[in-house]
Amino acid sequence: MTELEAARYSMAFSLGFHIIFAAIGMTMPFFMSIAHYKFLKTKNSQYLDLTKMWMKGVAVLFAVGAVSGTVLSFELGLLWPGFMKYAGPIIGMPFSWEGTAFFLEAVAIGLFLYGWDRMHPWVHWGAGLVVGLSGFASGIFVVAANSWMNTPQGFEIVDGVIKSVDPIKAMFNPAWLHQSMHMQVAALQAVGFGVAGIHAYFLLKRRKVEINKKAFMIAMFIAAGSSLLQPLIGHFAAQRVAVLQPAKLAAFEGHYKTSTRAPLYIAGIPNDEKEIMEYGIPIPGALSFLAFNDIDAEVIGLDQFPKDERPPTAVVHISFQIMVMIGSFLALIGTMFFYFFFIKKTVPTVFYKIAVLCSPLGFIAIEAGWITTEVGRQPWIIYEFMKVSEALTPVAGMQYHFFLFLFLYLGLGLLTFKLLKRMVNHYV
Amino acid sequence: MYEISVLILLFFIAASIVLYVVLGGADYGAGIIELLPIGNSEIRKKQREIVNRAMGPVWEANHMWLVIIVVIFFMGFPVVFQNIMVSLHIPIVAVLIGIVARGSVFTFRHYEVELTPAREKNYTITFGLSSLWTSFWLGVSAASLFRGLISNQSLDFYSLYVAPWWGLFPISLGLFITSIFSFLASIFLVGETDEVEMKKYFVNRAWKTNLFVIGTGALVFLAASFEGYELVNRFFKNPMAIIAFLFANLSFFLLWFKLKKRKAFYTRLIAAAQVSFILVGWFAIHWPNALKIDGIYVSFFNSAAPQPVLNQLIIALLVGSCFIFPSLYFLIKTFKMKVKES
Repeated sequence: MTELEAARYSMAFSLGFHIIFAAIGMTMPFFMSIAHYKFLKTKNSQYLDLTKMWMKGVAVLFAVGAVSGTVLSFELGLLWPGFMKYAGPIIGMPFSWEGTAFFLEAVAIGLFLYGWDRMHPWVHWGAGLVVGLSGFASGIFVVAANSWMNTPQGFEIVDGVIKSVDPIKAMFNPAWLHQSMHMQVAALQAVGFGVAGIHAYFLLKRRKVEINKKAFMIAMFIAAGSSLLQPLIGHFAAQRVAVLQPAKLAAFEGHYKTSTRAPLYIAGIPNDEKEIMEYGIPIPGALSFLAFNDIDAEVIGLDQFPKDERPPTAVVHISFQIMVMIGSFLALIGTMFFYFFFIKKTVPTVFYKIAVLCSPLGFIAIEAGWITTEVGRQPWIIYEFMKVSEALTPVAGMQYHFFLFLFLYLGLGLLTFKLLKRMVNHYV
Repeated sequence: MYEISVLILLFFIAASIVLYVVLGGADYGAGIIELLPIGNSEIRKKQREIVNRAMGPVWEANHMWLVIIVVIFFMGFPVVFQNIMVSLHIPIVAVLIGIVARGSVFTFRHYEVELTPAREKNYTITFGLSSLWTSFWLGVSAASLFRGLISNQSLDFYSLYVAPWWGLFPISLGLFITSIFSFLASIFLVGETDEVEMKKYFVNRAWKTNLFVIGTGALVFLAASFEGYELVNRFFKNPMAIIAFLFANLSFFLLWFKLKKRKAFYTRLIAAAQVSFILVGWFAIHWPNALKIDGIYVSFFNSAAPQPVLNQLIIALLVGSCFIFPSLYFLIKTFKMKVKES
């Protein structure tokens, strides 16, 4: 493992760990608020039990998300000081807003968790809602900072030094909208299916049927709704990537040779040596159509980029395929749910079984999507401006950094998982 | 205009550091004093409950000041941020490990559904040790900024990444910070309980940790002069620092007077003011510098980001304050100003 690889694995692992807790921390408060709202409106104590049950999960997961997020804000500088020196001032704006939102979230969660009977019930409900809103906003800001790395703008370089920074232009870069929509909806999807799956499991076990059914319905509605929305956003995102980062799109699809009527491969393994797709099923013209709404459009291939400026195609393609397959599958499940719910007016037992199986899928898709966008930008840390290798810290021994955080997070992940399992068994 | 912008940012940095040290510091201290093997098991159990109740609603908000400090540095003072992150990589990683461990474990202990004695003990010890560990390394990191051993020009690993923070002075400042945090926690906890016995217990803690503060404080000055670090010289040349130092020390009498009368609000205020005085002294001694690299002081005024960036950062901080301070006030009003129901 080289220093660069070790630093990259550290960053990837820290982000991959944090993204799960962040996704939950910024969406699950909404689930909680819905149940809480229902309680305040109907006075049905089952909704109160449900709110408190979810609240405890949010408390634990938010804490782990908050501390691992703190690590990330430092790690940007610890691992990539060359990047932060340039990028800090330019993308600091979304980070400073993210800091504000995160702060509000921390205050609101304190108020909500401990504020029962200490304030007017609707003020207390509002605190819970603020947890969700500020968490959601902080997610958007962070993704806006990341999208700047994909489509950097808002600064001028004179003689290798950054002059005249426009932080607003940098924040609202061309990729911020599709990236943040894609991420936020993915979080709703993943958490929706995750939560629905857990409650479906206990429904099948006939435990606390009434509460679990209510919980399942709230979660499944969010999951199904966001899953129907996501393919549209994903399609929009891919079309933007086709224009903004053609090398990344080419890597998504293992598209080596620039061509018109470009084919879309189902499955397949890209071979960077021979520059061909192996074992894939081509659909002629489909890539041109999906990227540009025209089966004869020209799609730029990896051949337009020097070899040392291409992302590792196999990783990007495979993770992209995993994400798309899960996304399509979840859209199908979402449609099924709405069909059962609205047309058949009853949800059959087999659907609960399916829901249990679906519960980890959204998180797998988030990880796959994150790998797709990050590895797809390689070798750049700031697209076509700074390479990852140029940003690397001069501190030697990044392997130790990597293993330290690997073990710390594996340990923490295991402890969190076991505690949550005990909590679920106790409360649900 | 540029200088005013930097001054505004320095105000925010100073305010955030003071708030982090006072509020976040007390949270670290709570972990540390839970670790000390004093009192019987019943008292220790009560102590745990009081700490849980006191810290639970606020620790995450208190922790956020650190995030704000980091954001101001990397957006407003990128060169300073970059140099700190490179030269102090090791102590900062140590701080981060501690932050992860203590935040998680504190929450786990609170939400644990099967709190067996063994599990509770493990949580408490981990929480205590990681609080101690983190405060110590925070002190070590702060001590390294102006010691003059941060270097970009050295060639070997030791002098680049170890020497800046290795030595008597950083260790003594680390100990001083842990003492201050424990002292703050003891003072703050007095007001968190209505039980006479527990109040007495925390007052006792406050006395003892106070002695530690004085002892380690003296150690900091001794270590500095022993190392030949010009802290002491700069201190005696700086009227502001001397005034702050005097205030910090003289207010002890007032503090103990108020504490004897169990005036929780005033003792908290005085203790917070004392710590702020110490920080003011620290800022005054090094004004207007951010750190010292290869023997040369780097001033905040020479290392700030371009004007448009500072403008955006100030706007974000001002607008953010409009949200954060009222909500913080509401948080404190809800949990710290109402009669405690146990």
